[in-house]
Amino acid sequence: MSRYIAQAALRGANLIVREAEEMVEAAIAELGPDHPVAFINTAYYLPVILGFTGLEVTNLGDLRKAMAHAKRLLNSPPSQQLWLPYLGETLDAGAATLLATETIEGVRFARGEQPEPIPGLKLTGTSFTSPDSNGGQAEGGFANGPIDDIQLRAWGIQLVDGRMPGFAAIVGAARSNEAAVAIVRELQKRNILVFLSGNVNGRSIIHQLQEEGVEMGYDTYIVPFGTDTISAIYALGFATRSALTFGGMSGGQIREILLYNKYRVFAFVLALGEVDDLKYAMAAGAINYGFPVIADTVIPQILPTGVTSYEHVISMPFDDIPGETDAEKARRLVQRCTEVRGVKIKITEVPIPVPYGSAFEGERVRKADMRVEFGGSKAHAFEYLFMAPLDEVEDGKIELIGPDFSEVPEGGAMNLGILIKVAGRKMQEDFEPVLERQTHYFVNGASGIQHVGQRDITWIRFSKAAVDKGFRINHIGDILYARLHADFGAIVDKVQVTLITDQQLFEEWLTKARQAYQARNVRLADMVDEAAEEFYSCTLCQSFAPNHVCAISPERLGLCGAYNWLDCKASYQINPTGPNQPIPKGICLDPVLGVWQGVNEFVYQNSHQVVERVSLYSMMQDPMTSCGCFECIAVVIPEANGIMVVSREDPSMTPAGMTFSTLAGVAGGGQQTPGMMGIGKYYLLSKKFLYADGGFKRIVWMSSFLKESMAEELKAVCEREGIPDLLDRIADERTATTVEELLPFLEEHEHPALTMDPIF
Amino acid sequence: MSAAVPDVKEIWNGRIVEVTLGAGPDQGGTRRTTVTVGGQNTLPFLHFEGQMPHKPVVAVEVRDQAPDDWSELLVQAWGDVLSDPAAWAARAEELGAEVIALSLDSAHPERGDTGAKEARSTVRRVLEATGIPLIVYGPGQPDKDNEVLVAAAEEAAGERIALGNCEEKNYRTIVAAALANDQLVIAKTPIDVNLAKQLNVLIGDMRLSRDHIIMDPTTGALGYGLEYTYSVMERVRLAALSGDAALQQPMIVTAGYEAWRAKETRTGEGVPAEWGDWRTRSLLWEANTAVTLLETGADIVVLRHPDVIPLVKQAIEGLMQDSPVA
Ligand code: SF4
Repeated sequence: MSRYIAQAALRGANLIVREAEEMVEAAIAELGPDHPVAFINTAYYLPVILGFTGLEVTNLGDLRKAMAHAKRLLNSPPSQQLWLPYLGETLDAGAATLLATETIEGVRFARGEQPEPIPGLKLTGTSFTSPDSNGGQAEGGFANGPIDDIQLRAWGIQLVDGRMPGFAAIVGAARSNEAAVAIVRELQKRNILVFLSGNVNGRSIIHQLQEEGVEMGYDTYIVPFGTDTISAIYALGFATRSALTFGGMSGGQIREILLYNKYRVFAFVLALGEVDDLKYAMAAGAINYGFPVIADTVIPQILPTGVTSYEHVISMPFDDIPGETDAEKARRLVQRCTEVRGVKIKITEVPIPVPYGSAFEGERVRKADMRVEFGGSKAHAFEYLFMAPLDEVEDGKIELIGPDFSEVPEGGAMNLGILIKVAGRKMQEDFEPVLERQTHYFVNGASGIQHVGQRDITWIRFSKAAVDKGFRINHIGDILYARLHADFGAIVDKVQVTLITDQQLFEEWLTKARQAYQARNVRLADMVDEAAEEFYSCTLCQSFAPNHVCAISPERLGLCGAYNWLDCKASYQINPTGPNQPIPKGICLDPVLGVWQGVNEFVYQNSHQVVERVSLYSMMQDPMTSCGCFECIAVVIPEANGIMVVSREDPSMTPAGMTFSTLAGVAGGGQQTPGMMGIGKYYLLSKKFLYADGGFKRIVWMSSFLKESMAEELKAVCEREGIPDLLDRIADERTATTVEELLPFLEEHEHPALTMDPIF
Repeated sequence: MSAAVPDVKEIWNGRIVEVTLGAGPDQGGTRRTTVTVGGQNTLPFLHFEGQMPHKPVVAVEVRDQAPDDWSELLVQAWGDVLSDPAAWAARAEELGAEVIALSLDSAHPERGDTGAKEARSTVRRVLEATGIPLIVYGPGQPDKDNEVLVAAAEEAAGERIALGNCEEKNYRTIVAAALANDQLVIAKTPIDVNLAKQLNVLIGDMRLSRDHIIMDPTTGALGYGLEYTYSVMERVRLAALSGDAALQQPMIVTAGYEAWRAKETRTGEGVPAEWGDWRTRSLLWEANTAVTLLETGADIVVLRHPDVIPLVKQAIEGLMQDSPVA
């Protein structure tokens, strides 16, 4: 807590409380204590006072009670009342300030002095344009004053359902009219509601916007409350009423109201220009609600988090913000505001000149229809996604470095590097590959664009038709930007995409990317079940196999192959109530079979009390259930003392006497069937592959599709197992489709399974 | 002899949440009757095992414009009222409906594209014409649902109506409208226990209290997937009774809608003679669909044909009898 801010806020609070008290007393002397006090068109009395104290103010006399409360807050010793005692005094002073400023507005309403007259100001839609309000003001010439209940509901619903990310309470005046307009436009662009109040030496941002012809009013989502700081109280009244309306709270439940705002109302204060004592005091009041304060001048900062989700007070002097124009500076300023408050942006459309959607994912671009390709046999392409600190990523920046493909002849190829830099408060390095892998689906969604491969074997084709419609390299960036925000907004706050065709830069980054891929491989290899604190579940398949649960560990992926441990971890961050939930491992009951107490409990619960025990490393004892979408099926061949693995792609007969599809019928449905189990094909490569049953060496037969499609990986496994030529000793559908054919093959090749312990 | 009969009673530790639709004058509404469902701690109608404090109820579907794709049988049965939702609703009430399920069909972009204003006036008129609780359905297109359901929620403030359908893609808006106006929501998910559960959790996260949520687990008609949806509903209910709080909401099913999509109800001609009389067949089709779903846990059945109302109500009456079968 900055001592400077604390002292300023205390001074400001004391002053305003005294002023409010004097105003109340003067008004009572003049008009009597029963003189009515009410804001317009609201059922929430004076909302901040109602929220903090439960007091339903209807007349001047009631305001006395509110002031008594404010004074108690000011005089309270450093207290435990709110949840951060060390900030307590300042927060209480802030609260007192809110009560006092709302009281002042109450008195002004009683005297008919609100809303404030602002000559020449015309609003597009206000509480006063409705014929039944205290009329006459539809002509204009007045600030809006507090927001009425009808508008509160209309906007409240959008704030609650996320269409509107939050609101910005701007207090003061911008450095220039241009800056004022630029800031407001930036906020509008992001669908953020704008509330205006306050002034600096008599000039208010309201005047600035008025001079620049910016339309204000409900219709443009810009609401001018008034030109003094006091009118900023209406923003907090709005916040309080949101909690009362949508949070189901009632007056006096201030702790709940404040927490509701902290977690659900993404608002912040933007202080433009000099910050005086009263502004500090108001700011302290706003912090009570979890609303951070961003100032465009030099003021002390309060960085540690606590009452607000992130920083409390940020100083971002306008002159020091990088940028050529005020518009650019404004963009950065607003960006910072949204970061500090954790406001998420929503993007619904992918802004490219060709149709976009998952319907186009499977599309192929044939050579004859192709304008240009990146990667493939004649050029190289790579994609590399990495995270960086928040301040090193410029959200929305999409840049092509190097020439476009206009010089490349039709049907030709060129090199392309796709660098995706992301930042986010919840981003983790482990999510980099998960997000990077999405590039394939994202880019493929564009009509006329084909994407295959990944990492440094990426291969992208643009069709002639797409290029004719205007599709260019940059649009890859647009797609990635939009989709990463839309689909991974929970973990990604900022996305910047650089597309590189410049030869030298391409080489440089390719080297860096390869180092990163290598590091990831190592990391992946290091990720062992023993080291993970929790595994993850997947229950997506319960829609057709009601009791099936995939227990997914770093060394055993889901049996459909689509979800590994990292995917699940990311998916859980994105969708905490979704099908991937963390499973605390609990005590290890059997390290060989791979049995954990936590896994058993979780599976028991989530299989609806059907599956009691699961061993992750065995297909013989308590194997995992198989839903139906497994990539491969492993089946015991008792005669060979081993197992066979048949892949979904393989239509041939197997030594088990059944084809894949017949086997699938037997194994599927969410049952535990010892001796038969669905698996993801990458599980074959794991050190924990049927560890308890003898591991990879047990495999006596394997579909040739697997041998070929994973040739290199399998070779490495054979080496790891100490039998480099093991793969050649494993039969496939070309060498054996019956047990009778299988056994001599194994004898001839001296397959190790023949001399292993009996599998039963 | 008596010793040979084993005790098959289960003790469940879960109970379905009680949900009240409609509010009378003392609660800020204008309904003459209100309806409470839920509260049971046993499978449907197992009165020997636990309590089923509230009987399931019959809602009747009313559209804000005359349907152009309804079976001739339905059109004949309702007659003129089809073109006036208020009159239709009043007639349904006379015929024994306990809840009106008003569909704002005309808001659909391809079926009239009406907006908030029309929605308000229809809701108002139906409320004025009836004294029973109201469910309001949007046209089933997310943007339009948001528009008209928000308007309906405001217009019916105080009446404790239910807003449907609240689905994964638009639940936030519908829930916000319910929160702001103290209405209920119908949380609809596509025949999947986990999705049903997840949506209830998400709605709960928005702080709508559990006595404001009714689930629609999505069903099929007799002969059209009824068995599958039956077993999904059964699993929902079993999980709820076993203590899974996220599934302990009462369930609503649109039996009429499903049954009248079937070929057996839509066509009277060119079908085998052994199918029997078209009208009888159709009424039984709808009634059977409804009663089957009651047996698996439906708390509210939405019906279409006027003559099916007494059939289903009679079945409910019988099923609610406490006396064990001799
Ligand atoms: S098979 Fe795949 S989708 Fe199905 S539950 Fe397992 S991991 Fe999830």
